[in-house]
Amino acid sequence: MSKKKDPRVTRIEDLAGPKSPGELEEMKMPYEEYCRQAFDPGNEAKKPESLKGIRWLSCTMYIFTPHSAANLAELGAEVIKIEIPRMGDAMRHTSPFNEAYLYPLHESRPMTGTGLGFTNANINELYLTMDYHIPEMVDVFYGLVKMSDGLTELYRPGTLDKWKMSYKYLQEINPRFIYVWGGGFGYGPKVFGGSYDILGQAHAGLASITGMHEYMGGHATKCTNWVIDWASGTIITYGVLAAIHWRRKTGLGTMLEVSQVQTPTRFMGYSVPLYGRFGIVRQRWGNWDTQLCAHGIILCGKSDYPDADNPQEKFDARYVMVSAFNDPDFQELCSVIGRKDLWDNYPRHKQRLEAEAQIEVYDALEQWAADKTRTEVSDALNNAGILAYNVKNHREVYESEHLRQRGTIRWLDDPLFGDLLTHCTYSTGLMSKSPRRLKWQWRPVGADNVKIYRDMLGIPVSQVEDWYEKAWI
Amino acid sequence: MAQEKRDVEINSIQDSLDMLTPEIRPWPVTPPPSAEEVSTQVYTKRKAEDFLGWVEDNVKFEKSFGKAEALAGLKVLDIGLWRLGHKFAASMLAEAGAEVVCIEPPGGDPLRQLTPFGREEYMLADQETGEKCGIEFIAEMVNQYAITLDVDTEEGQQVFRELAANADVVIEALPPGYADERGIGYRHLKDLNPGLIYAWTGIRGQWGPDKDRLSKHGQWEIEPFACASNAWIHSTGYPQDQLPRGKGGDPTRAGVWIADYVAGEQVAVNIMAALYWREEFSGEGQFIEVTGAEALMDITDFDMTWYGFNKSIKARTGAWDPNLNQYEWNPCKDGYMMIGGQSDRLWYRIGMCIERDYPQFGRLIHEDPYLKEMGARNALHALIKTYTLTTRWLRDINRVQAEEALLEYEIAAGPVLFVDEVCEFPHFKYRPWIYNCESDYGTFLYPTSPNAYQFDTPHRLKWVGRRLGKDNGEIYSKWVGYGPTRLAELKTEGVI
Amino acid sequence: MCDVIWCKKEVDGSPCETVNYLDPFCFWNWEGTINCAECRTVYYIHMIQGHMYKGPEERPGEEPDTSPLYADKPLEGYRNYMFATEGRTRPFECMPRSFLLGEADMVKFSIRGKPVRGWRPQPESAGIAGSFPYHWDIQNLSPDVWEEYQEKIRKGEVSDW
Ligand SMILES: [Zn+2]
Ligand SMILES: [Zn+2]
Repeated sequence: MSKKKDPRVTRIEDLAGPKSPGELEEMKMPYEEYCRQAFDPGNEAKKPESLKGIRWLSCTMYIFTPHSAANLAELGAEVIKIEIPRMGDAMRHTSPFNEAYLYPLHESRPMTGTGLGFTNANINELYLTMDYHIPEMVDVFYGLVKMSDGLTELYRPGTLDKWKMSYKYLQEINPRFIYVWGGGFGYGPKVFGGSYDILGQAHAGLASITGMHEYMGGHATKCTNWVIDWASGTIITYGVLAAIHWRRKTGLGTMLEVSQVQTPTRFMGYSVPLYGRFGIVRQRWGNWDTQLCAHGIILCGKSDYPDADNPQEKFDARYVMVSAFNDPDFQELCSVIGRKDLWDNYPRHKQRLEAEAQIEVYDALEQWAADKTRTEVSDALNNAGILAYNVKNHREVYESEHLRQRGTIRWLDDPLFGDLLTHCTYSTGLMSKSPRRLKWQWRPVGADNVKIYRDMLGIPVSQVEDWYEKAWI
Repeated sequence: MAQEKRDVEINSIQDSLDMLTPEIRPWPVTPPPSAEEVSTQVYTKRKAEDFLGWVEDNVKFEKSFGKAEALAGLKVLDIGLWRLGHKFAASMLAEAGAEVVCIEPPGGDPLRQLTPFGREEYMLADQETGEKCGIEFIAEMVNQYAITLDVDTEEGQQVFRELAANADVVIEALPPGYADERGIGYRHLKDLNPGLIYAWTGIRGQWGPDKDRLSKHGQWEIEPFACASNAWIHSTGYPQDQLPRGKGGDPTRAGVWIADYVAGEQVAVNIMAALYWREEFSGEGQFIEVTGAEALMDITDFDMTWYGFNKSIKARTGAWDPNLNQYEWNPCKDGYMMIGGQSDRLWYRIGMCIERDYPQFGRLIHEDPYLKEMGARNALHALIKTYTLTTRWLRDINRVQAEEALLEYEIAAGPVLFVDEVCEFPHFKYRPWIYNCESDYGTFLYPTSPNAYQFDTPHRLKWVGRRLGKDNGEIYSKWVGYGPTRLAELKTEGVI
Repeated sequence: MCDVIWCKKEVDGSPCETVNYLDPFCFWNWEGTINCAECRTVYYIHMIQGHMYKGPEERPGEEPDTSPLYADKPLEGYRNYMFATEGRTRPFECMPRSFLLGEADMVKFSIRGKPVRGWRPQPESAGIAGSFPYHWDIQNLSPDVWEEYQEKIRKGEVSDW
């Protein structure tokens, strides 16, 4: 009963290939070209949006919960960001070293801008202001709930419940509603502990395994960006989309209680199970890898740009990621750097992965690189067929032809703030048919008050103006 | 419990391995507080015991099983080697209830062989066969079925097409063009299965001038190559002004393969969006590509926008954040203590807390006219001054003391915890964020999904990794109708 | 005092009264000499786990190994010495540019020469209840910037990248 096909017979339906001239063209195309055409960077706006028709309320601040909603907005959902009147999201008041702002923050404050700290966390959203403390606002809020698919909030547990705006109340008003609380800890002994990205990095163990080991002179190290804020926000987005999928079948909403501080622990690979089984506490291992060798970042003797004005170029264009852990690669690496003895001593991966061996290997690499620039090092290795890559800085990323062609670095002609370089949205993933897109970066605090209070909720302009005078909105 | 005491002489790791097992050294070492204690001692502080009682009643982790699964019925294939991005995406889908099948070549994913510092004693043995497997692989195979298939053989390619014809989603993480050359890429499968959502994931891309490479000898690029390509490493670490270069003051990678996780979760998000679009609007699948370099770049704050604004290249700032003050960790008596609070309200509360023990702090910080305005406090010199004085307070106290003092003032603060401390932190044990699973490899302590706390469809871990090919019989039968004899044939031919 | 050196050195009959900040990661475990940013008195210090194990002891005539990054004078309205003040404070190398402003950078054009709203004050352009139109009507609101932009185009200072 062999199901083996007769090798002499070729049936058209068995072939995965083309069935028409158009398809033939497509099948003949080099794969790269095929991908480029499928994703067609630059023409996203002409394609449909994945989440068309979903409306989400973002009662959020900082990065973590805002990003969970912005992710939906990138995919085509209509997201309404609700902020504190006049002040807005606290993140608007952050900017690297207090230097970069876009103006104005709000009509009443022409001298105050929104800091670049706010970038990318709330894109494509409509901006509404509302003071939830005001009893008169609760009904208005309910109106929004009836017209929306869900909300994300980050207030101290119990806060919105006091104002009758928790899921306990909202599920009665809209049984399809999906309610997300995102915060630091959630129910339990530290329920009232506040949360930040850096707290997650510290508290959940990521910091304890990032950075140079003590004997290398290092300290527990913070991952540069608010990576845990953003990454936990994406976890929420995923939870929301799964809940929406479920709701399509059942018509029922749900409530998610998502703790940001938990996310980094989930990202720590073998760390927790290794402790659980053997009581071993994973330590920092600097720029090397605990499971592969050679697979690490080395310091080269010379900068690629010794005469540059910017110290980031002048002093720091000196690091290369080098990877040669498979036997033939490692052997090749040892011969390129003139240290065949290392290969003789450590012919098996298991041997060169031991801590002492790693120290010897990377030390040899850095000695070899001591009289070379970063690019001399990576070129020498690449030319020998070994994987090596310069640790790039932001100018180099900006100038990357690769990222430009893929559209993941591009300029946005922002409708309200002008010319902004952007690294977000498109870089989150290319989609051939219903891609993400960036329409605008952000808008001033309360910029869409009329659009929502009047046009969506039918509240007379005079009433809106009155609330505005009273700073309720 | 009676404790037996014995004398042990430890000359090598082998002498202690037996004593490290969970049977002898259980988790948790101390039990978490009871629900009653938490309610009466914590929730009542803010009169939130009713509300939080209601929350616990409805979202408690222990009640996950018995609730519905959001993605029940969704069929997913995952194929790839070496990396964690595709595995994390697959795990996320499986945690929400999808049926996820992970395809490995008959020799297995090399990731199965990876173990810290090459220590075979830290690999775990399958309880039935004794086959050993690295912990990281086991941990990143949540709820997935493990099957084998050699897609380098013509027959294997045909089998793959049959499997994919039946799937809702394919996640692929092979080198650029590898699947396409074998006739099992998106452009081949989309005709067999127009509803198929096909997601490729990798380091920098499957197309473009700087796409993913293999070495001359076929070695793959693995994290942290992605982090090196997008300036993330460039701006992580301590500046050479705080620690000497070569001794901690260098650009630094994350301890984990962070871009894999970040890409993996966006793979899952994009798949879910494509699924919604298919179900709600079009009936069509589509092609998705997510890279670690780009997905991580998406979330590097304002970095590139800042470059476009005035050619700023984000520099390393160590454990301090250049955008917020306070927002950092600094050394303290027994480790590092993180403190955060940037608004005026929180800023002055931090000051009040510290000046209780160290009055000079209140004077030098609160009197200084340059530190009065929120934005101005982010200037570099303001960070230097604030953190020097904060550390002057911290050096005399432990993390726990600092945490207690700061929480009293409602400041977001927390210690830098090591893995053992994470696993024993009362809050984490209470929820629990860390939990034991009785796996094929014995008791397995794992971090739970942050999406596990839900009213209706909590995500959950049912099992972790399995031995190579464990599910061949079940999956090949259910998905493509192969019986035991056919499987035996494929096995003989080396196809599975 | 410890992580700070509050310099009381008599200079012209009155104490120096300068607070020199010893930033925590650099000095957490450190031994050597450091100068006061104001009077340049050199002190020997030996710090272990953030504690001043020895010092500060004056070391007259010695060249300092390093300098504080920042110092200020509480009794003189917090007059200060920023980092990289020659002969007084240590330079801070790891910066995003060769200089730091510490205050908002007024930017009218992006690095490729197109207008961006990075300066203040912005002319009023809001409508009812703080709402803003969809577009920035730069030609009417900031005609001078628009004109400057046209000039940049003419001079070829505007590019795609
Ligand atoms: Zn994003
Ligand atoms: Zn002095």
